[in-house]
Amino acid sequence: MASSSQLPRLPLGPERRVQLMATCLCDAFYDDVAKATVEVLEHAGVTVDFPEGQTCCGQPAFNGGDWPSSRKVVRHTVKTFAGETPVLVPSGSCAAMLRHGALLEFEHEADLPAVQHLARKTWELADYLVNGLGLTRWPGRFEGKVAFHRNCHNRGTASEAASLALLQSIEGLTVVPFGEAEQCCGFGGTFSVSFPHLSSSMGHLKLDHIRAVKPDYLVSGDMSCLMHMGGLAEKDGQPVQIRHLAQILRDALVNVGHRA
Amino acid sequence: MSTERNEILARVRAALAPLPRRAPLPEWDHELIQLRAAQPPGDTWAQFFQRFAAVNGTPLKSGAELVALLEQGGWRRGYCDPALWPALEGFFPAAFQVETTFDRARVDDYDFGITAAVGAVAETGTLILSDRGTSSRLAALAPWVHVAVVRPDQIHSDLSAALAALPDDPNIVWVTGPSKTADVEGILIEGVHGPGVQAALLLG
Amino acid sequence: MATQLIDRFAADLPPDKRASVYQSTKATHEKRTKLLFDHFADPNHLRATAGEIKQHVIENLDTYLPIVEAKLAANGAKVHWAATAESACATVLGIMKARGATKMVKAKTMVSEEIGLAEYLGKHGIEALETDLGEFIVQIDHDHPSHIVRPIIHKNRREIARSFEREGLGDYNDDPGTITRRARKFLRHKYLAADVGLTGANFVSVESGRIVLVTNEGNSRFSLAAPKVHIALVGIEKLVPRDRDLGVLLNLLARSATAQQLTVYTEFISGPRAAGQPDGPEEMHVVFVDNGRTEVLASECREILRCIRCGACLNVCPIYRQASGHAYRSVYPGPVGAVLSPLLAGKQFPELADLPKASSLCGACQEVCPVNIPIPDLLLRLRARGKAEGAPRAAVASPPMGAWALLASQPAAWKAALLGGRLLNVLPTKFIPVPALRAWEEKRTLPAWQGGRFRQWMRERRKS
Ligand code: SF4
Repeated sequence: MASSSQLPRLPLGPERRVQLMATCLCDAFYDDVAKATVEVLEHAGVTVDFPEGQTCCGQPAFNGGDWPSSRKVVRHTVKTFAGETPVLVPSGSCAAMLRHGALLEFEHEADLPAVQHLARKTWELADYLVNGLGLTRWPGRFEGKVAFHRNCHNRGTASEAASLALLQSIEGLTVVPFGEAEQCCGFGGTFSVSFPHLSSSMGHLKLDHIRAVKPDYLVSGDMSCLMHMGGLAEKDGQPVQIRHLAQILRDALVNVGHRA
Repeated sequence: MSTERNEILARVRAALAPLPRRAPLPEWDHELIQLRAAQPPGDTWAQFFQRFAAVNGTPLKSGAELVALLEQGGWRRGYCDPALWPALEGFFPAAFQVETTFDRARVDDYDFGITAAVGAVAETGTLILSDRGTSSRLAALAPWVHVAVVRPDQIHSDLSAALAALPDDPNIVWVTGPSKTADVEGILIEGVHGPGVQAALLLG
Repeated sequence: MATQLIDRFAADLPPDKRASVYQSTKATHEKRTKLLFDHFADPNHLRATAGEIKQHVIENLDTYLPIVEAKLAANGAKVHWAATAESACATVLGIMKARGATKMVKAKTMVSEEIGLAEYLGKHGIEALETDLGEFIVQIDHDHPSHIVRPIIHKNRREIARSFEREGLGDYNDDPGTITRRARKFLRHKYLAADVGLTGANFVSVESGRIVLVTNEGNSRFSLAAPKVHIALVGIEKLVPRDRDLGVLLNLLARSATAQQLTVYTEFISGPRAAGQPDGPEEMHVVFVDNGRTEVLASECREILRCIRCGACLNVCPIYRQASGHAYRSVYPGPVGAVLSPLLAGKQFPELADLPKASSLCGACQEVCPVNIPIPDLLLRLRARGKAEGAPRAAVASPPMGAWALLASQPAAWKAALLGGRLLNVLPTKFIPVPALRAWEEKRTLPAWQGGRFRQWMRERRKS
């Protein structure tokens, strides 16, 4: 869901501290993305808590229309990420789920206020770094041409501009624009398996545009899009190098000898 | 009052009754729909003719230019609003056949129609026709060439001004260029049902 | 795993059709965006305001409908009300019979498609001829429009040329100019012979009772110049509070629909012809059509009633671009249709309950919508409804979520599953026990399972 309406955020408070929601995808497949997120945050002077009881944001069932199942998971998430400490998630779509989607499915539920509270303290990574902490540039160095995929869940949020600002500020890195950037990659959660033809056609179109500008890396703020596009490309026998934004930020530090 | 009317209105009321509040009508300022490149006030006719040409309209500044256009296109038979004819007649050579009543039975016989416009909009290059101001709806529509005769004091700067000044008339038509379609493969074709040539003649 | 109907339709679409739909929607979308951002300092604010105006209207229809009814009557129009499609058709037929009328020319109106008017009148011995070039071609081909603004976006010139040849409109000629000229010649005599001109309404101003019609071809003007009776079919949601508000909506409609600053003809109709005017209708009838709209109004998807039928959401939609309009099996295709069609279907909702699923929820539609309809939210609400009602079509190829929810709400079980998932790395694809994963692997590779690694790293980091 594009985040059409979002509640204003709670103030961050004086302490730089977040509760990390690693996301189920990083938990299962992309451990390095979660690690990079921690390292990037710590470099920015943020203390990272990791609530061990975390599972998933509830989006798969929400998108699938099974709202009772999704609410069960969201309730668990609300409980796991209790308190006032901001919740940080390295994924535009999980952030959108908690910032907007969950509010839709809890509209008529008695515990809506608790869900609203979670919405108001949740941040997507780039948005947090730029608009929360006020960073305008990212240090370090990263040689290479990067195609930045605008993940759809960042539409209408501050995350897209924030991600681009960070990437463009890195020494040595060039962001290369490509065609039809506003178009979706075709992942769409369960859409990718219930509509395999449409999903893969959309993905191939996106890949064609990306390959045309010959980037070294395909970067996004959402592993779900990257898993889909990376998986399609590999199946084609023409793999692309996929990187999460957090990995680029982390590698930029490592490249100049910062111990992340 | 029909029962269906009451049934529909009852359903509308029932649908809206549970709403805790109704969305208010937003206040909005004229600037919201002001074009970025809005022209400074003053030369509105120049702006009109520039926009009118941009939508493939044919600007005309005199009776002589009108006749030259018609001669060039080989359009010799046409209709003219009887109220306008005395001012234009002098420009037309004898080879032209101009009628001042439009006979719908011979609709294909008219190459052009000359009727009065009641205004123009500079911002969009739009001509304003009205029912009371047009001597024949068909004459302004069916021939290949339509010439709208407009007076210098009839210009509005933009859509907002034109909307604020909509005349009290049952059929007002804003015309912005020739009739057109892109239905077939997205290719632009002019002159579908209405005029293929839309001219504006500034007179007076 | 079986796949969804729309997915299969898209897969079976001939490549040349797909290409032409794709190219023209993309071109229109790109022109639209450029025009809006070139012309206005803040087009998104403009869209939001337009949305608020329309939302205000639909939430105050109880007040506005009686006012506009009185205004129309005072202007000399006769107002009718039709609760259903059948009654709307019967009302039109009744008006025609009362005049002994047998021939109608129709301008393009989506409501008439929705209520099946031309077919109904045909059955009652009345010729109801489409005059919009695209709709005319659809009609002679006994086809259906596939786009709400560009009805024949799915046809190429060669197909059209063959249809014209078959209908006796000249020898085979696929030049678009020639095709248009032939339609012009044929249709103008139809206008002159017709008793009734039928139009829709893009907007109706409550303040003045003016019906606003926008067209490029001039067919609606012709339909109001030659025949003696004008009938306007108007969905009850088409109202606009004041003439002034039309400034916002007209500016957005033309740019959003066809990337024009203003449509060629914008007509403001408030009654029969003026005294002394030789042409034009002596009678004007306005038929307000409900046909399911009050049900939509009562639902949590009422925002869809803001829609001004510009087609921008179709043009930008990656699904529409791949699948084309007929995939949606209804009058309104694309994102707007995926919301509106199942809602208007009433009791037949389950038949179309798969439409809201045909979306990656990318939100491109909302981003372009001139009245800022939160289409993705509405799709989600309809998915929840389809699931709650157990609509089989919604469930096709949709992985069940119950077991997952159980797992994802029990941390111990979740952690065990993360470790257990490593099995995936060694199982050959065809033995993967989850159909959704198999479906995934048909098109893509799956990354290696790393379940539990991050957590372990985090624990070790905390220790050091
Ligand atoms: S939903 Fe919005 S974008 Fe789609 S047709 Fe309606 S007004 Fe246009």
